[in-house]
Amino acid sequence: MKQFSRTLLSVGTALAILGSAAAVQAETLKIALAGPATGPVAQYGDMQKIGVIAAIEDINKAGGVNGMQLEGVIYDDACDPKQAVAVANKIVNDGITHVVGHLCSSSTEPAADVYEEEGVLMITAASTSPTITEKGHQLIFRTIGLDSLQGSMAADYIANTVKPKTLAIIHDKQQYGEGLAQTVKDGLEAKGITPVMFEGVTPGDKDFSALIAKLKKENVDFVYYGGYHPELGLILRQSAEKSFDAQFMGPEGIVNADLAKIAGDATEGVLATAPKSFDQNPENKARVEAIQAKGEDPSGPFVFTAYAAVQVMADTINATGDSDPFKMADYIRSHSFDTSIGKVAYDEKGDLTESTFLVYSLHKDGSKTPAAQ
Amino acid sequence: MSFDLVFTMSEASLYFLQQLINGLTIGSTYALIAIGYTMVYGIIGMINFAHGEIYMIGSYISFIVIAGLLGMGMVALPVILVIALVVAVLMASTYGWTVERVAYRPLRGSNRLIPLISAIGMSIFLQNYVVLAQGSRDVALAPQISGGWTFGDPQLFEVSLSYMQLLIWIVTLVCMTVLTLFISRSRMGRACRACSEDQGMTNLLGIDTNRTIAMTFVIGAALAAVAGLLLGLYYGVVNPFVGFIAGLKAFTAAVLGGIGSIPGAMLGGLILGVTEALTSAYFPSEYKDVVSFGLLILILLFRPSGLLGKPEVEKV
Repeated sequence: MKQFSRTLLSVGTALAILGSAAAVQAETLKIALAGPATGPVAQYGDMQKIGVIAAIEDINKAGGVNGMQLEGVIYDDACDPKQAVAVANKIVNDGITHVVGHLCSSSTEPAADVYEEEGVLMITAASTSPTITEKGHQLIFRTIGLDSLQGSMAADYIANTVKPKTLAIIHDKQQYGEGLAQTVKDGLEAKGITPVMFEGVTPGDKDFSALIAKLKKENVDFVYYGGYHPELGLILRQSAEKSFDAQFMGPEGIVNADLAKIAGDATEGVLATAPKSFDQNPENKARVEAIQAKGEDPSGPFVFTAYAAVQVMADTINATGDSDPFKMADYIRSHSFDTSIGKVAYDEKGDLTESTFLVYSLHKDGSKTPAAQ
Repeated sequence: MSFDLVFTMSEASLYFLQQLINGLTIGSTYALIAIGYTMVYGIIGMINFAHGEIYMIGSYISFIVIAGLLGMGMVALPVILVIALVVAVLMASTYGWTVERVAYRPLRGSNRLIPLISAIGMSIFLQNYVVLAQGSRDVALAPQISGGWTFGDPQLFEVSLSYMQLLIWIVTLVCMTVLTLFISRSRMGRACRACSEDQGMTNLLGIDTNRTIAMTFVIGAALAAVAGLLLGLYYGVVNPFVGFIAGLKAFTAAVLGGIGSIPGAMLGGLILGVTEALTSAYFPSEYKDVVSFGLLILILLFRPSGLLGKPEVEKV
């Protein structure tokens, strides 16, 4: 214990020294980067870090914001809600008023409450839980779409592009799968398309022959599956054996190389909504190369959303000439930004108005390509 | 089946036929696994909770053997399957024997609850051992036996019976016949029956009861390995947790048919499989387990010893 407090003391001293060093250099603006640097999901924290650091370097090279250089400060919440609150308080105490993070929705939610109360602007590049922006907060934004957007997006795609004759919706009775399936159903019914079936399967089940026979009897030509890849893999495989050849579609949860391992050739052409691969975007070519030159991986899903979060902050400060979080929040709500994830604009809640998901077509070798619109 | 007959069948009856085929296939494999539960219960009056795990291990072993032989460039499928079957049966039998030796024999004669707990421990051990050795993700095998027959009017409903389903039926039928003959005709089978009637007396008459009990574990494990191979080929996927659900279903089948009775386990398996398929066919499929377990409760309410089980007589 004694040793621990001594360590704390020395860390405190080190930070105090850092703090005073920063005070001397008045021409920097600190941006806190909060997320897991340790723990089981640290790899996602790394993606966020790669994106933020790359954005800060690019912006500083181009002259900084409003004459100030940006400086990133890393805080580790280990994806633990309790530690996230402690980190949030620490950021406030360190006098930082701009945060990119946190990463896990369960950490972002309690931390966002702290930031809102203490007047800190926060943009999360990874948290997709809808509840984070449902509390009427002023200073909380995202650069990533909500999970639930996938459902309405799938419904639009089905109604406008696929136009199936007979449609069935299957789900795995779990919060994620059934929730999405319900959103798809509501979205389709609003467009006058009524599924002939809306049914749950049991996760972990291996035999879907009865279900497939039923789909076949109803002459279903399109199936939306809300759930994960193990069950859908078996459904696809058994459908192929029973020569049931409907078009299948699912959410991000089915986009996994294991799907092709289970279903084999039957994976070819399955549709899925998944986050856009921003590293494939031609406009990001130079950024991708810069990140690769440092020996880092630009392909993680949160690299470019984190990059965009820094861009939104920098553009706002440049435009308003002010780094006051409340003035920035007003500007962010009323303007749109050109970022590494495309043009972004915000609604009242602080969510993106455009989805960051895209419909993909899956292939039997485990790869995916954007589906025909 | 003649074409005239087929064409006179309505869509509803073709659909029923298809679901019956599906149900009989699942039921056959439940029956194969259920035998292991029922034989062990019949002879020592205890449930072997590690049995589902033996099935899972059988599946893994056959996957490894098939993938290995294919990787070595072997193409003759029947040969591959026979080798996989032999290896899976031998290795699963060893596991079955070991379970008995480690978790049951040292506890023979103690309170009934104690071997039950040790078997649950064995089940958890085996599951985690496979997780560590093979990983907890699904392992998949490309379809080996594909194709089948279809019949019925394509305009109405096309019934399909795949070669794989037929293989499952045939293998189950053969296994059941051989087992029934073994129990009723062979010397070892007679010892089994004697043991289940009165273990103490059988021992006094010079029969090695320990060996007989070990034998029932081995037979149960061998059949579970057959089921593991067949279901592995049929679904093409195995993970360390398949044993739990399959074991639960097979145990239900054994209780339904009358635990301790071998024909009961077969009947119970088929009834459970067909009930599941028909429930999924005519109701939303999420009610599948509700209906089959509701059926189990009903049968046990009216026939506490199961469909073909002997009424329990208290031994004095």
